[in-house]
Amino acid sequence: MEMYIKPSGEERQVRSLETVAVAGAPIAYIVVLAGVVMVLAGIPFSVMLGAGNGFPLSQAIYPLVGWILGPVAGALAAGVGGLLGVFLFPQNSAVPIATVLGAVAGGFAGGILGGKGRWAAWGLPIAVFFGVVYAFYAGSAIVLNGVDGGIFLLASFINWSALALFVLPTRKLFRSWLSSADLKRVTPALFLGTWCVAGLSHLTAAFIVYQVMGWPDFVWASMIPVSPLEHLMRAAVGAVIGSGVLAGLRAVGLVKPKYAAY
Amino acid sequence: MESALVTMACVSYQYPRVRSLALHDISLDIQPGEFLGLIGPTGAGKTTLCLALNGIVPQFYGGRFFGHVRVAGFDTLEHPISVLARRVGLVFEDPETQLIATSVENEIAFALENLKVPREEIIARIPRALEAVRLEGTEKKHPHELSGGQKQRLAIAAALAIQPALLILDEPTSQLDPVGAREVFATVSELNRELGVTVLLSGHAAEELAEYADRVALLVEGALLQVDTPDAIYSDIPRLLAADLRPPQVAQSFSRMRERGVRVPHIPVRLDAGIAALERMRDPAAPPPAAPPTPRPVLGEPLLAARDLHHVYNDGTHALRGITLDIRAGEYVLIIGQNGAGKSTLVKHFLKLLEPTRGDARVGGTSTRDLSVSGLARRIGYVAQNPDSQIFNATVADEVAFALKNLKYPQAEVDARVDESLQAMGLRAARDQHPLALPRGDRARVVIAAILAMRPDVIIFDEPTTGQDYRGARYILDISRELHQMGKTVIIITHHLYLMPEYAERVLVMGKGTLLLDAPIRRAYHAIDLLRATYLTPPQAVFLARALRASDAGDYPLLTPDEVAACVAGQPIAWAEEQRWAR
Repeated sequence: MEMYIKPSGEERQVRSLETVAVAGAPIAYIVVLAGVVMVLAGIPFSVMLGAGNGFPLSQAIYPLVGWILGPVAGALAAGVGGLLGVFLFPQNSAVPIATVLGAVAGGFAGGILGGKGRWAAWGLPIAVFFGVVYAFYAGSAIVLNGVDGGIFLLASFINWSALALFVLPTRKLFRSWLSSADLKRVTPALFLGTWCVAGLSHLTAAFIVYQVMGWPDFVWASMIPVSPLEHLMRAAVGAVIGSGVLAGLRAVGLVKPKYAAY
Repeated sequence: MESALVTMACVSYQYPRVRSLALHDISLDIQPGEFLGLIGPTGAGKTTLCLALNGIVPQFYGGRFFGHVRVAGFDTLEHPISVLARRVGLVFEDPETQLIATSVENEIAFALENLKVPREEIIARIPRALEAVRLEGTEKKHPHELSGGQKQRLAIAAALAIQPALLILDEPTSQLDPVGAREVFATVSELNRELGVTVLLSGHAAEELAEYADRVALLVEGALLQVDTPDAIYSDIPRLLAADLRPPQVAQSFSRMRERGVRVPHIPVRLDAGIAALERMRDPAAPPPAAPPTPRPVLGEPLLAARDLHHVYNDGTHALRGITLDIRAGEYVLIIGQNGAGKSTLVKHFLKLLEPTRGDARVGGTSTRDLSVSGLARRIGYVAQNPDSQIFNATVADEVAFALKNLKYPQAEVDARVDESLQAMGLRAARDQHPLALPRGDRARVVIAAILAMRPDVIIFDEPTTGQDYRGARYILDISRELHQMGKTVIIITHHLYLMPEYAERVLVMGKGTLLLDAPIRRAYHAIDLLRATYLTPPQAVFLARALRASDAGDYPLLTPDEVAACVAGQPIAWAEEQRWAR
């Protein structure tokens, strides 16, 4: 930002000299956000159709963690928080490894969506990766288990719509809105960005759970109206929490992690 | 010449996302063993300058940094904060936020443990640090068992234990009662004189800095305007007032004498020098001043009343012991007393934030037991001691609108009241900012604006001037006066006695949960021994008045520097009461 008066002193390079940082994010930030994920992992917000147990509310903030910390530190914080969460609140996880990897995928994809510097170029490879996961998910349902293709398509709406938002230029649009000074842009970016990234996180977790447990046809049918509603909840919670957190972080003016998107 | 411990060369700093510079071209040396005072209005950059000396600015906050800071040979941009923390001890204004351990000795050990000091060395340093701040014997106590002054001294001990080359205290006494503040200044001065600790102390405590500092630096809008002796800084009254700073009352008194034609060769800045000068100047044949005006009686039914009010907290603390008083509509009441005297406990009963253990609190003749908290909140506005505890919205405008929206006022009414309140508190420019990002003084104004928007009958200000510069404090008190003139009942709790003669009419002096005195302000301020019993010190003008009285038997009930000056000049006195009524 331009200043009104020019100083006479030599401008110095400002950097944090403490070594306790992971991928550009201070370890203290990672610990705090992992703690937040862990706490929210204790709050159920829906029942998991097919596999039983519940969804934890923490799913709504995996993207936010990625936007604050960047891809690697975001994945680490979400993963650690998710891991602690499955031990402390097992009722909110059907398959622990799916919960943890879903969290890691969410934190990482969030960091890529908001990616800056070298991470900006990772969008396409990551989109291909999630595309492959979706293909395997569809293959195992339609080809191996004989689920009707139309039903699968409708039941996995939140996943392919997330993938589409990630592949299309919307990803870059969300990125620019997230860093906007205008909260009227940031809040929609948080809502749509959470829809996109949490959808990819859900895809990762759902794929693993389906491989481990599978579920019958009638569950696919019941997912058609239920899962978009649940996903709306995730996006809304992500937008509400994210607006407060990002507004607070901006106002307080703490040093931003190197790959932060806000 | 001895090489400087601290060297700041052309230092400028810009916080992230802010266009203006927080510090601008600061060049300053601090010599080993020096006691440097740092003064400036709220927002001048005092805290930023303090934080720049241990690298927190800019290493933690980011932003743009220009120039060089070297402390004990370490460049603050080339060494991590953990290294600088061994050389620079930092004590902040609020002792509560600095104490984290469960015992005094653990509190001191905490920083040492983090710096990996060997165990035996930690054990050896704890008693030395406690002795330095005169807290021996408290090792096993919980920090929260200590008084405000003791807590701040503990924070100083924790900073001292790391054996820093430089001890920085950022407004260390603004949260303390006068005795706590005196304890802290006495301790810091002793550390400086006897142990040679280099001290940088920022704050608004003019009387104390005039007494203890070797030099004082005047910082205004991020720029260093003057660095000189306390005599040179505090005797330049116009410059201080232009910078919204309050000169010591003794200096103000002699400056006013000079304005009134009294020959004052040198303006003293310390009380003892002022009293000595007054004794030399005074004409022993001069008659005592005329009697001040009689306080105006306030009639009518009591609006707030307490009858044999007792309160015992859950931990057994007997905070109120049989308080009986009446406060009538339209009064302006000042409540004073040491920290823990029961002042806040008393007023919280009128809001039903606390309920009597015994006795009764009444509002409008009805016991608060029969009234609801929400109903009382509409009638009585309470501005709490710590503004942060009343702030929870993301913007200033939302904060002011919050209660109105909850009370279902129409949107147009909400918008109008929010605008009006923000305008009254000078906060319109900050309406979209996050309240917690504002300086402490502005945060207090946000809370007051939110209260004003409710248009209550009674407004209680609990330490509203804490952390404010002179202009900020006067600004808030002027608002309280305007509210009073509009017919509101105003109750103020403060330790800043020197600010109140132009505002308050009646004073309740509390001590250890009892009401020691209920009197007009002039009588209360001259009850010096009683004030001392509750660890309060009257303003310097009262001591100067006493010095005038010492040489004859007349009555000198003077309260303000202007009254003292007029009396010495033998001119008619513009009594504070008359000025209050004239406004």
